[in-house]
Amino acid sequence: MKFSYNWIRELVDGLDASPADLMRLITIKTAECEGVEETGGHFASVVKARVLSVESMGESHNRKATIDAGGLGKRTVVCGAPNCRPGLITAYVPAGTSLDGKQIGRRVVEGVESDGMLASGAEIGLNRDHEGIVELEGAPGEPVDGCVPDAIIEVDNKSLTHRPDLWGHHGMAREVAAITGSRLREPADCSRIDKTSSPINVSIENFELCPRYSALVFENVNVRPSPPWLQYRLQAVGLNPINNIVDVTNYVMAELAQPMHAFDADKLTGGAIVVRNAREGETIAALNGESYALTPAALLITDAQGPIAIAGVIGGMDSSISGSTTRIVLESACFHAACIRRTSSRLKLRTDASMRFEKSQDPVNTERGLARALELLMMVSPGIRLVGGMADCAASPKPRTVIDLPMDWLRRKLGREIEQSEVVRILKALMFVVDEPEPGLLRVTVPSWRATKDISIKDDLVEEVGRMIGYATITPIAPATPTTPPPANARRKLHRELRQLVSAQGFDEVYNYSFFSEDAARRFGLDPAAHCAVANPISTEQSLMRMSLVPGIWRNIQDNARHFGEFRIFEIGSEIHKQDGDLPNEIPHLVAAVFQHTKETGPFYEIKRLAECVLPGCVPQPSAARDFEHPSRAAELAWRGKTVGRVFEFHPQMVEGRAVVLDIDLGVVEELGPEGKRYRPIRRFPSSAFDLSVIAARRALSGDLETALRRLAGPMLESIEFLRQYEGEPLAAGEKSVSFRLTIASSDHTLSNEETTAVRDAVIQGMRELGFEMRV
Amino acid sequence: MLETQLETLAGTVRARILAAQTPDELEAVRVEALGRKGTIADISKGMGKLAPEEKARIGKLLNTTKTGLESALAERQQEFAAAALRARLDAEWLDVTLPAAGTRPGSLHPLTQIQQELEDLFTSMGVAVLDGPEVESEYNNFDALNIPADHPARDMQDTFWLSAGQCLRTHTSPVQVRGMARLGPPLLMIAPGRVFRNEEVDPSHEHTFYQLEGMMVDRDVSIAHMLFFMKTLLKHIFRRDVTVRLRPGYFPFVEPGFELDIQCLICNGEGCPVCKQSGWVELLPCGLVHPNVLRMGGIDPEQWGGFAFGLGLTRLVMMRYGIDDIRYLQSGDLRFLRQF
Ligand SMILES: [Zn+2]
Repeated sequence: MKFSYNWIRELVDGLDASPADLMRLITIKTAECEGVEETGGHFASVVKARVLSVESMGESHNRKATIDAGGLGKRTVVCGAPNCRPGLITAYVPAGTSLDGKQIGRRVVEGVESDGMLASGAEIGLNRDHEGIVELEGAPGEPVDGCVPDAIIEVDNKSLTHRPDLWGHHGMAREVAAITGSRLREPADCSRIDKTSSPINVSIENFELCPRYSALVFENVNVRPSPPWLQYRLQAVGLNPINNIVDVTNYVMAELAQPMHAFDADKLTGGAIVVRNAREGETIAALNGESYALTPAALLITDAQGPIAIAGVIGGMDSSISGSTTRIVLESACFHAACIRRTSSRLKLRTDASMRFEKSQDPVNTERGLARALELLMMVSPGIRLVGGMADCAASPKPRTVIDLPMDWLRRKLGREIEQSEVVRILKALMFVVDEPEPGLLRVTVPSWRATKDISIKDDLVEEVGRMIGYATITPIAPATPTTPPPANARRKLHRELRQLVSAQGFDEVYNYSFFSEDAARRFGLDPAAHCAVANPISTEQSLMRMSLVPGIWRNIQDNARHFGEFRIFEIGSEIHKQDGDLPNEIPHLVAAVFQHTKETGPFYEIKRLAECVLPGCVPQPSAARDFEHPSRAAELAWRGKTVGRVFEFHPQMVEGRAVVLDIDLGVVEELGPEGKRYRPIRRFPSSAFDLSVIAARRALSGDLETALRRLAGPMLESIEFLRQYEGEPLAAGEKSVSFRLTIASSDHTLSNEETTAVRDAVIQGMRELGFEMRV
Repeated sequence: MLETQLETLAGTVRARILAAQTPDELEAVRVEALGRKGTIADISKGMGKLAPEEKARIGKLLNTTKTGLESALAERQQEFAAAALRARLDAEWLDVTLPAAGTRPGSLHPLTQIQQELEDLFTSMGVAVLDGPEVESEYNNFDALNIPADHPARDMQDTFWLSAGQCLRTHTSPVQVRGMARLGPPLLMIAPGRVFRNEEVDPSHEHTFYQLEGMMVDRDVSIAHMLFFMKTLLKHIFRRDVTVRLRPGYFPFVEPGFELDIQCLICNGEGCPVCKQSGWVELLPCGLVHPNVLRMGGIDPEQWGGFAFGLGLTRLVMMRYGIDDIRYLQSGDLRFLRQF
């Protein structure tokens, strides 16, 4: 929302703060200002001028004009505007003026020296008209009527969400007056409206959605451009000047936060306006040239023939003001916030009116809006006449909001002492009515414009008092500290330990998005339909919630392989699995990968080692590979009796080079909890060791051989260690020799040679019975 | 006679010991002079012919000479050993500037680092660290935080919706709701985590970023308490005292609501491009918990009060490290990540 500094000053008596100071005050006390910008500085030097003569400049579309600039004398300018003609009063920008940050000078255009320039409405910030130079009235040398340098304070709309009253200058002026202790001027004089009946009849079918609808009828209307001061002011606050009638409605909206609409009275059918819900499928051609189909949730303004406006959002095309309009109906109404918001978001049509109505406007305000519009119309449409008085239909007024505010409670909330008299002074400055029904208790009546949504409970008054005394006056106080340690968070503890562990092994941590694309899902063998889908994704790349971290890691591998020949990465994040009728199941996973730009064996055993660091004693079991996995290099990981994840190498068609991946379900790891540990006495008698080599088929699993050896060695086995494996002469093709060292010991005596030999023989014998040849 | 012979011999042997250039030469001298068949032994054999008194005197002299030579020998041996060790150590010279083999520890993501740092700080203050899901119910994300349907405040947060009607949490605030339900009052909690806004991505906007929610519920919690807590927090985050200011800010789940600004750490409030010349940097929205939020969390607002705040972790990381493009954080680009 843009606020004009001059406009606020007109409404606050004796305001002398500079625009920058005002911005700071508003930021500290009321709402966040995003900046202040000088505007219209050129109006200090721009004057009206009369075009005296216009000469052609040969082939050029430009022409040489001689102008009378009053006190500045006669000047020669080059002008390309088609409407530059002798006798025209227009705006002259003398050399040396800064226009929109650009210095206007004396310059030679196609051989003719132009001393300054003649300006369009857009160039001097009156409107958006670039077609020709601006056409004014008055005498050469005069300043442009009512246009002086101004400053625009931009306030963050989000910080006005709860303040319907601050969507107009008068509301902000009210704040400024309270902050600075100045007197506020009331721009609307309701006594201007005759207390007679109106020629038009207004009725409301749904008072909940439309608590009040007021209207005035005017005749002898003369539709034409607004005077410069009005155009300038609208343009400065970001509203587009259109014609005097529409501009007045926008001016009142920008001043009093009361959206208004003008209908061409001669285009309405019947003498009555009815506010009602739309019928299913009812359509209206709107002012913006679009046609809208409505549902009964929307509210319509209708005449005898049908819809003439979508309430609170936009007017209809057929009943709109045109150059030939002579009679108007001026609407000033109040609509239900949520209804307007729903309609405007369903139609994807946000207008200046809907933005204000959805903040819950004050029904009391409709009459003020009409009174102010009446005054302005008299100024900008000479000869206009009000017909009768105000048509007004309203629900019975809401009872006043009254809040009991105990002083000691207020002090406890603020955390500082404050005199009751000061609280009363502050609330009164903000136009609350304050009584003291009993000592230490204030009874606060909320003004209507703050009572629609903003202020309803005593906590809301803490803010009113707090911001006005200034939060800087509150001294920090230590809260009472808890005496119990906080509950532990086992998940975070586990994730933190894993991060330390994995990064210590050389892995760099990455974060990937929680989204991926349908293509990514398919590439990794996941059914897109099984995913939680984003209804309004930013792009198709981010349309599904990830059911696996692997696609993200794969993408990281692709990206980083362009810069590095070898790297290690990991991520801890959640897989998101759809669950019918419930929130998705979010399962934390650890995914780590090693990439090497090589065709050699690759880093499979390195990632396996990481698995063993993370899950000591985990056992990989060969497993059928998924399409993106290397068909001969994929395994499922078992740990403490559960399947907890996978290790695999990417299929060579997925990655150029070798990339291996570890994927662990941390949900299962967390469920298993930390492993209980128990001390075993340290063995006191020496152990004996012997080596054995098993001849086995090339693809026999060493893990299976080890299991067999372990079983055969029996209870005296202390450890078994893989030494090496060998293929080649003198072994037959398709065979390998796998060597292990077995260490045996007893807890209560030193083993004799006989005992050791007996175990060794039993193992050899057992393996032979299993069909293995042994090298001993 | 023997005396003279002995003296001459001792002088010669001593000279040869000193002249020996290698351990082998030295050993040859030893064998020749002090060995079982050496010259000293020869002399002692010849003593048998001497008179007893003479025998005793020469014997003593012989011993002294022998001991003297032995110790000269030992000394020379020591010298050789020391020289040999010196030579070995010298030969074992290493180029200490050669790179070492093996992988280096990897890096933790800067967001991980700041989260862990803050978790440690809060835990030390007795604060519970809670988690919430990335996908939230509309109720927890909005309604229970006093943002009913059709409330214009829903525009403050462009929301990703799932087809099933749930949403990606737009803030960590729904963990307030979960925390109140789980722990009840009194309550002191934080909830760091990932949040989502449906925004186009550019150097300063991301659809995925990190926040840290904080909430305290207790008897009589005031703005003064909140201020104290925030100042303590910020002092530890920035490792120095920071000047703060509170100004009104609107968030439906707090009343009153504030924006907490810190005095710009770059210019100390003088005004600079970072603070857009204002001297202040907006850092942390906060406020006293709205009674409706307490009520919906099953806590009686007449008995209990609280404050809540939301800290932008992504923003904090960018400030701390001077990161100028938010998109790097989730790029997985090791050229970026390895800097932390
Ligand atoms: Zn600064």
